Parts: sequence; C-alpha cells; structure tokens
Amino acid sequence: MWTRVNDIDRMFGAMDLLRSRMNRMFTDHDRFHGNYGWQVAEASPHTNLYDNGDHFEIRVEIPGLAKEDMNIKIQGNYLELSGTRKSDAPEGYKAHRVERSTATFTRSFTLPADVDVEKVEAGLKNGILTMTLPKAKAAKPKQIDIK
Amino acid sequence: MIEKANITTKKESLPERSHELPSIIPVVDIYENEDEILLHADMPGVAKEDITVNIDNGKLDIFGVRNMKTSGVASWEEFENVEFRRSFSVPQAIDVGKIGAKLKDGVLKLHLPKSEAAKPKQIEIKAA
Repeated sequence: MWTRVNDIDRMFGAMDLLRSRMNRMFTDHDRFHGNYGWQVAEASPHTNLYDNGDHFEIRVEIPGLAKEDMNIKIQGNYLELSGTRKSDAPEGYKAHRVERSTATFTRSFTLPADVDVEKVEAGLKNGILTMTLPKAKAAKPKQIDIK
Repeated sequence: MIEKANITTKKESLPERSHELPSIIPVVDIYENEDEILLHADMPGVAKEDITVNIDNGKLDIFGVRNMKTSGVASWEEFENVEFRRSFSVPQAIDVGKIGAKLKDGVLKLHLPKSEAAKPKQIEIKAA
C-alpha cells in the first residue's frame, strides 16, 4: 500500500518538475528576445538586500566593473550606487556580437533603517559587490526584559 | 486491510531534483582578428572552480554555477543562484590545445587561437 502512495507522490513530483521546467523555458525565451540584463531599459544592476538583525547586507551584480568604476554614497538610510561599465573591446578586432552593453548607472535606495556610516564595509569579488552596513545604534534590535 | 511492513525501504531519490537552479543564458561579446577569436561572457558571482568550458567537435559549451551563501532575511532579492549555460558553434580551425581562459570581475574571457592553416595568407605572384 505504502509503495503505491509513494508512486503517486512521485508522479506528482514529476509533474511539478515538468511544470517548473516549462515556466523556465518561457522565461529563457523572453530573455532571448532582448531582455538581457544590461540593456538600456535595465541599465542599473540587480541588487539583493538582507537584514541580519544588527546589520544589512547588500549585494550588487556588477560584472566587468573594477572597484575604481564604482561610487558608493551613504547618508543615514540613503544609499546611492553609481558606476560606469567601460567597454572592454580589444583594439584591432572585428566584432561579431556585442551583447554586453556599456552603461553608466545610478541607483539609490532608502534602507529600512539608518546605518552606521563609519563601519560600512564593501568588497568586490567575481563581479558581485557585497556591502555590510551595520545599523545605527538607535535602529538595532534590543532585548527587553519583562519585569 | 492487513498492515504490511515494508521489507525494504525505498529511498526517494529523484536525480533531477538536485538540478533545480534556474538556467540563464549569459550575455557575450565575440571578437575576431587574424590570429584568434575572443569571447567575453558575463558570469557574475561564479567562482573560477565552478566554470566549465568544453570544446568538442566544433561545439563550445560554457557552463557556470553561481553559488552564493546568504544569511539573514531578504528584504528584496533581484538575483539568485543560477546556472549560466550557453553553447556556440566554433569553426574547426581553432587550435584546441591553445585555448586560454581567464576570469576577472565576473567576466569570463576566452581566447580561441586559430590554427596556422586557417590564418590568412598572402600569396605572392611570381613572374613567369
């Protein structure tokens, strides 16, 4: 009896998998028709923001940018990222295909809380900028004792 | 109904399940001069160890997995762990032994040198 339930479960699992594959196929298809990551309509990089209680962590996808190409400004809970992606086209070569566009972007965020500007750290690795933004003292979570 | 105990426990394993990362086609630039073909592909977040470049029978495959560890609660997430995958047809005249690959700032740079026989050659006309 149980093995049969497993079989049914497995069948549904396979159907789910198929459905997710199909969905993915369509997004890939869209992507192929001009929805590339770095086009004019979407020149600013993708970001992720994580809240770790006492600090925020922001990740920015900036392939091909060196740290000199990035500018970061922070004030209170306002964060501004700007940068320029320069062309790395080599001299004397004929271009067959240029999909990676060059662009200047500025993106600003309002963080959910004020951050301690002095303690912000930023690192760039493999085209991903990771910043650790410790929250300002007033914004940090605090344990309250019940008396 | 008689309760039947399983004599053997069947382990549920769907091998495809481990392969659940969404697949992305990386954007590329392709350049060519007389000596080589150059390919630049954007693969942000992929470590050097996670990139595979295969060339076989005129087909070049690039495959890379982005494996970021995250912590904390996501306030927003615009990109995630993905696999980058793209294939190209390359002319047979590529010197497979001399292919060079570099990864810098999330950009994979492939040098595909042309073999001697494929390089353009000036033919001198001799006086008869």
